[in-house]
Amino acid sequence: MTIALDDTLTTSDEPEQPPAAAKKVRSRRQIGFWFGVSWLVLLAVHAFFAEWIPWVRGEQEVPRVAGPDGELIRASGYRFGPGLDFWFGSDALGKDLFARCIYAARLALTVSIVSIGGALIIGGTLGMLAGYFKGWIDRVISVLVDALLAFPAIVIAALVIGRFDSLQASDIEFLGFGFDWLSRRWSVTIIFLFLSIAPVARIVRAQTLSLSEREYVLAARSLGARTPRILVREILPNLVPAMVAVIFTGVAILLAAEGGLAFIGYSVKPPEASWGLMISENRTRIDDAWWATVFPALMLFLTVLAFNLVGDRVAKRFDIRETSL
Amino acid sequence: MRYVSQRLLQFFVVFIVVTFIVMVATRIGSADPVRDLAGGAVSDQQIARVLNDYPYLDQSLFLQYPQWLLDFVTGNLGYSYTQSQSGLAMFQQRLPPTLFMGFWAIVIGLAIAVPVGVYSAYKRDGAFDRGASYTSFAFISMPPLVIAVALLFLVVTRTSLFPTVGGSSYIAPWDSPWGHFRNFFIPSLALGLGLAAVWSRFLRADMNLTLQSDFIMLAKAKGVSPARVLWRHALRSSVLSLITSVALQVSALIGGAVVVEQFFGPRGIGDRLVFAIQQNDILIIQAITAVLVVGVVLANLIVDLLYAVVDPRIRHARKLG
Amino acid sequence: MSGLQTDARQSTGPLLEITDLKTHFATERGLVRAVDGVTFTLERGKALGVVGESGSGKTVLSRTIMGLLTARGVELSGSVRFAGQEILGLKAKEMRHIWGREMAMIFQDPMSSLNPLMKIGRQIVEPLQIHLDMPSDDAKATAVRLMKDVRIPEAERRLEQYPHELSGGMRQRIMIAIALACGPTMLFADEPTTALDVTVQAQILDLIGEQRRDRNMSVILVTHDLGVVAGHTDEIAVMYGGRLVEKAPTKTLFANMKMPYTKSLLRSIPKLDEPSHTRLATIPGRPPDLVNPPKGCRFAPRCAYARDRCHEEEPVLEVAEHPEHVYRCFYPVGSAEFEERDEQVKAELAREAAAVRAAADQAAADSAHGDVPLAAQLMHGKDI
Repeated sequence: MTIALDDTLTTSDEPEQPPAAAKKVRSRRQIGFWFGVSWLVLLAVHAFFAEWIPWVRGEQEVPRVAGPDGELIRASGYRFGPGLDFWFGSDALGKDLFARCIYAARLALTVSIVSIGGALIIGGTLGMLAGYFKGWIDRVISVLVDALLAFPAIVIAALVIGRFDSLQASDIEFLGFGFDWLSRRWSVTIIFLFLSIAPVARIVRAQTLSLSEREYVLAARSLGARTPRILVREILPNLVPAMVAVIFTGVAILLAAEGGLAFIGYSVKPPEASWGLMISENRTRIDDAWWATVFPALMLFLTVLAFNLVGDRVAKRFDIRETSL
Repeated sequence: MRYVSQRLLQFFVVFIVVTFIVMVATRIGSADPVRDLAGGAVSDQQIARVLNDYPYLDQSLFLQYPQWLLDFVTGNLGYSYTQSQSGLAMFQQRLPPTLFMGFWAIVIGLAIAVPVGVYSAYKRDGAFDRGASYTSFAFISMPPLVIAVALLFLVVTRTSLFPTVGGSSYIAPWDSPWGHFRNFFIPSLALGLGLAAVWSRFLRADMNLTLQSDFIMLAKAKGVSPARVLWRHALRSSVLSLITSVALQVSALIGGAVVVEQFFGPRGIGDRLVFAIQQNDILIIQAITAVLVVGVVLANLIVDLLYAVVDPRIRHARKLG
Repeated sequence: MSGLQTDARQSTGPLLEITDLKTHFATERGLVRAVDGVTFTLERGKALGVVGESGSGKTVLSRTIMGLLTARGVELSGSVRFAGQEILGLKAKEMRHIWGREMAMIFQDPMSSLNPLMKIGRQIVEPLQIHLDMPSDDAKATAVRLMKDVRIPEAERRLEQYPHELSGGMRQRIMIAIALACGPTMLFADEPTTALDVTVQAQILDLIGEQRRDRNMSVILVTHDLGVVAGHTDEIAVMYGGRLVEKAPTKTLFANMKMPYTKSLLRSIPKLDEPSHTRLATIPGRPPDLVNPPKGCRFAPRCAYARDRCHEEEPVLEVAEHPEHVYRCFYPVGSAEFEERDEQVKAELAREAAAVRAAADQAAADSAHGDVPLAAQLMHGKDI
């Protein structure tokens, strides 16, 4: 922040932080940011290259390991706690919880990132048009956002996913195509995408609105640049920081939503792995096999935290405020 | 008065949009909603009974909606044929646990957020402020599910005070205050901690702005003590923003309640809603969602009224408007 | 109760002695020297006008003296003696007994300086109860009396009203009533009339002057407008770039100002006897950067009369013909060097004035054709 040499300086009680303190605050924020980035990179590499990483077992693999007498045994019945053989312990069926947590990360990341990406394309376009031209798109978006704020998205998602199950099972066709492909994975992605459109559009709209008043846009317009050109060449590049912040914060929210949805049984079905599903399956055994519940929860928490840390940093850096998401 | 009618219109639009979307959603991929409602493979007799009670169910959606709406506003809250229970009876049984849980969650949230937020703003950038800021950031990144696991692991399994996972049931406070506490404390805490995190950050930010305003400087220049400046002058104006934030969190609270009721119990309206979705109990789904939306809308209306109580400027402006 | 050992009302000697006072803000850009070595004294019952542009340090000066700048990153040095007692660097806890009771302040914007959520009565009563331990009935009666003192009609009814229900002038009167509540010996008025209508401005200034005489109170009137202080102060101190550049009894200053800067300030006030389209002389350039102030005289870069020496060497405070008149300039108004340049400056001003008048006539002719000037359209937004 620079000091304007007028009374704004003289009227504020606490004008500036001393430089040393400001530097300290900045470096502390950096720590959070770099923790977030490292966690995400580590997780993403494991999740997307799981098959090629030697220390990640198969999602459904039931490994045999050396028992106390040296013979090979299965790890079923939560036999092993966290240790060298099973980093996160083993579950009821003897599967490796670490591997399942990694595959769950793959599911959660894919679903969230694809949804936000799609929402950004659709909602971003709508928001840009609404912010530039105002008018009816504006009103539709604000009604939809109000509606979303008035009702928990997790319920709508569960409802629609339940219906998508019947759609997949039915022989209903649409334009000659059936719905066999509509697995839970797709259902969750589609509904997340739709639920994210309006909030994304609202943020992009707000940004566009302020950008379109900026001098270089006015200048371009006064030079006779055509609207599509202004939108693509002048406004779009300046929307990038906002979109980056939206991606990270949006993914954090969707990860949490996927966790909740999986917990109530509306993300992937067993035996596929999802953090929320693992918590749901194992929580009654928390007394003797705490690892089977705690590690998935910890993974969910750290991943959401990492996305929030990075998103927050980007938003602060470019002064983007979340009106809603 | 124009203001109030404007708000009412806005809420009405939201209600219509949400209930209509939910109605459409319940019909996706279903060839025969009447059959769904009667419970799948059933006799013609049962289907005839459903059609007798709700003759509009085999019409087009646009014809169904107004008739459903009429039913809803005249107090017909649907019927669960699979459970043989009317919507009204279902609400009487399932709404109180959720209301208590939500109420205690808000109480816990505010009881933590107000002192933390005020003290953070007062000792800005001090050790407490920094600690509170990190803690609340972490809690914001914890979905209710994660907080529930943490409470289960760190509190429930280590004490014998609380029912085990999924074991909380509904006990009214007037029947047994202790029983009520045992069953409601952990679920409410699971929801309240997240709220506290959001609200304390919110309050701190708003107080920081308020503390920089001229009237705070004047209060200081009058010789008013810091405590009095904080509680009497600054907090009062920040409370307004806090109230808004409370209302905004009501729908998130319902979403959290759906998860927490499944996790710990008590089995309230959120649990019933998930069950209705599993059962394709479309009339019950519609009734519950509609009632929840009305609840959120009411919360917002109450906030609008509270605003006027706290801020004389708004009272004044509304009188003129 | 009081943090002061001597009662300000009984002590002898000047009420306020400021010696080499510095207020520096540590910022990311560097040290902002908002007040940089200011020295003056103020007798009891006297009024001092502190005049300067935005950023000259005048507001910071008054808040420093009152001890309201206590945030981290604020570095204070020098001395502030109030009634013979050093008060600079006292903790807020110790200052609280002085604030409101011995020293009070009227802020610039009566809109934002009154608590919007508190009834006016409560806001006036608050200092009475805090400092004088008045029972609430007495405090209320005192509040009504104070409101009558500052000429607020229907005082009893106003007690129950909120600030937004009053006009700007009324709110400023309320602020004065609050400031006067405990009978302070020292009143700071920070641009008390800037936010008000011209007609109300004079009333408020008269009111402050009248209360000063009735209560034998010292007043420091901070403003950017020489016209405001002209009739309402005994002495005037002109500040520029954190420094005191000229100080004199009011009459002496107006009769015989020494600083070219003071002269420019005077030129920027509209005068009634000039034709309506006369352009006000503005001071070119911006106030100095207080992180890296100019090497020589701080005003030199903007001074039409500056010479090489002014850019190299900073002048010290000189005493003028009148012993209480000091200024900080090598080539003051009236010196041969000044007069030499003044011919050119005046000619320049006259040329500009003629050009402006011509443009104004043209604009008047244009608007007669019914066009709304672009500037006016922009200012009114889409309503036009």
